[in-house]
Amino acid sequence: MIFSDPEIWAATLSMAVPLALPAIGGTFSERTGVVNIAMEGIMLIGAFFAVTFSYWTGSAWLGLLAALICGGLTAAALAWGAIRVSADQTVLGMGINIFAAGLTTFLLNTLFGFNGTPINTPKLPDISIPGLDKIPYIGVIFQNQSILVYIMVVLVIISHWFLFHTRLGLRMRSVGEHPLAADTLGINVWRIRYFGVILSGLFSALGGAYLSIGVLNGFTPNMTNGRGYIALAAMIFGKWTPLGSFGAALIFGFSTALGIVLQGQGISSNLLQMIPYALTILALAGLVGRAVAPAADGIPYDPRRS
Amino acid sequence: MKQKFLAVAASVLALTAMVTGCGTGAASNTAATNGSNATNSAGTSNGTGTTNGKTIKIGLVTDTGGLNDNGFNHLAYVGMTNAQHQLNGVSTSVVQSQSESDYVPNLSHFAQNGYNLVIAVGYLMEDAVKQVAKEYPKTDFLIIDDNITGIPNVASAIFQSEQAGYLAGVVAGLVQKNHQLKGLNTKNVVGVIGGQDIPPVDTYIAGFQQGFKKEDPNGKVLLQYTNSFSDEALGSQYAQNEISQGADIIFPVAGGCGIGAINAAQSAKVYAIGVDTNQAYLAPGTVITSATKGVDTAVFDTIKAVQNGTFKGGVSTFNLANNGVGIAPLMKGVPQSVQTTVNQIKQQIISGQIKVSTTVQR
Repeated sequence: MIFSDPEIWAATLSMAVPLALPAIGGTFSERTGVVNIAMEGIMLIGAFFAVTFSYWTGSAWLGLLAALICGGLTAAALAWGAIRVSADQTVLGMGINIFAAGLTTFLLNTLFGFNGTPINTPKLPDISIPGLDKIPYIGVIFQNQSILVYIMVVLVIISHWFLFHTRLGLRMRSVGEHPLAADTLGINVWRIRYFGVILSGLFSALGGAYLSIGVLNGFTPNMTNGRGYIALAAMIFGKWTPLGSFGAALIFGFSTALGIVLQGQGISSNLLQMIPYALTILALAGLVGRAVAPAADGIPYDPRRS
Repeated sequence: MKQKFLAVAASVLALTAMVTGCGTGAASNTAATNGSNATNSAGTSNGTGTTNGKTIKIGLVTDTGGLNDNGFNHLAYVGMTNAQHQLNGVSTSVVQSQSESDYVPNLSHFAQNGYNLVIAVGYLMEDAVKQVAKEYPKTDFLIIDDNITGIPNVASAIFQSEQAGYLAGVVAGLVQKNHQLKGLNTKNVVGVIGGQDIPPVDTYIAGFQQGFKKEDPNGKVLLQYTNSFSDEALGSQYAQNEISQGADIIFPVAGGCGIGAINAAQSAKVYAIGVDTNQAYLAPGTVITSATKGVDTAVFDTIKAVQNGTFKGGVSTFNLANNGVGIAPLMKGVPQSVQTTVNQIKQQIISGQIKVSTTVQR
């Protein structure tokens, strides 16, 4: 029985990380009322600068830091356009995606040439937590996973607690539901929204860095392969909650893992290839019940006019 | 909510369109044409075989793997750049396809702009080339990895990669059977990762299976397809899966996706065999050898033929006999006896003593 093979769960977890992180990021942004479809682009930015600085500084951790800074800056640009200028958020997000795809490819070929990033680029460590690896079965799942896998698990829990059990989390949600009401109560709507969007940039960049210096140690153009968009689906599937996004990401990760494992059983790869996408369609078609977006999601708020 | 999805869907479409647009726009990035009146008419009378070759424009359209695939797209580019440097009067330009729907517009773009030769890298462009070549009969086309016949302005370069795959399989079989590399386990398993179930991939794999089985009849060959030529992280995941099943030599035939597989092999301290070009530089000490094909040579020769006015449509075949395919030098640490066997078998394939089938065993 394939499901009893811990390998499939290890692969599920590993493939879920680059979906869960941007999905949670998107949740933060949309909960404050800013539609964020730029996860794909910010992931690419994060992935690229993670590798570049990891190579330049010789430390994968500094690479990760650079990824976060660059991802945060990109998100800040999105936030400025969406909040200050009240631009159309979908168009803005798409603009960032296209810009990021072009910029990273251009910089890759300019800085490193067509043969790609240097092979001696340091990557983040794979770790096995002592004790955990002694447990049969579970131990195999967590064996030699990237350290970002553990960081993700921690971030999922913190994010959920933060959004639903802290004052700032409550404010974020209120700004996304009814900014005018929040404003009259003295909450700075813009500031909260900036915070939410930039937070989403940090999460997305982390997801991108996982691909480039967590799983691999190099960058290739468009290496995110649409994961930012799947993350968007995971966010909606998860009903704009961190735990839900994580769950959805696990399901998408599982379908990829299933595709890998089932091929060993002689099932056509062409059929298996469609599992993640078929699941996405089912998810979006409302399999999980009605997914209701935050009421003010995508609507710019101008305190001067209200 | 619905509105938002529509908006997202619309923007995804817009993205595709814009990327296509960008791709085409970027076409003029390399090596601007020298001389604005380079267009033909006078060019034909310009004699052949002169050292100062006739001025020609070459356009290269990559498939979705792009120039960074460390594989056949890049090799085609290398061949074209060599031609630009070594032959006088060759100016070049590249467009990278972002999606399969870009093929026709990208090919047409070059044909429309009076390019003399348009190079289409990859079997997946077959239909696009057939369509565009008929619309622009005055432009010459070269398609890599395909055999289009009956269109006079289309030349096809087909590689008998099964022969290169066979030799790579022989190497894998020998070191696997005799445990001739440090750290090989006793399970006697090798893993193959294909990008897609299509002829240019499957020929390599078929040859590899036969070569491996010849030397190591009791060994096992795992085979999986990623259905991607670009997703490195996915390639890495497939490799990890095969490694967990005991494979300790991984042979990815999956373009950029395969680079991730080699990366995973390196992390897991097992071995890999490269493809298309000598990929030893990707992971020294991990890549035992590479099954190679001379896409660069095919491109260079065709450009030369166009310049000399000797371009002919039809299929040219590249194999071990004409050095069109081959195997890269073996990694340090592989016993000399392996090299000797490889050389013998190479001669046997060339002489026809060993016939390599192109059918994958499943």
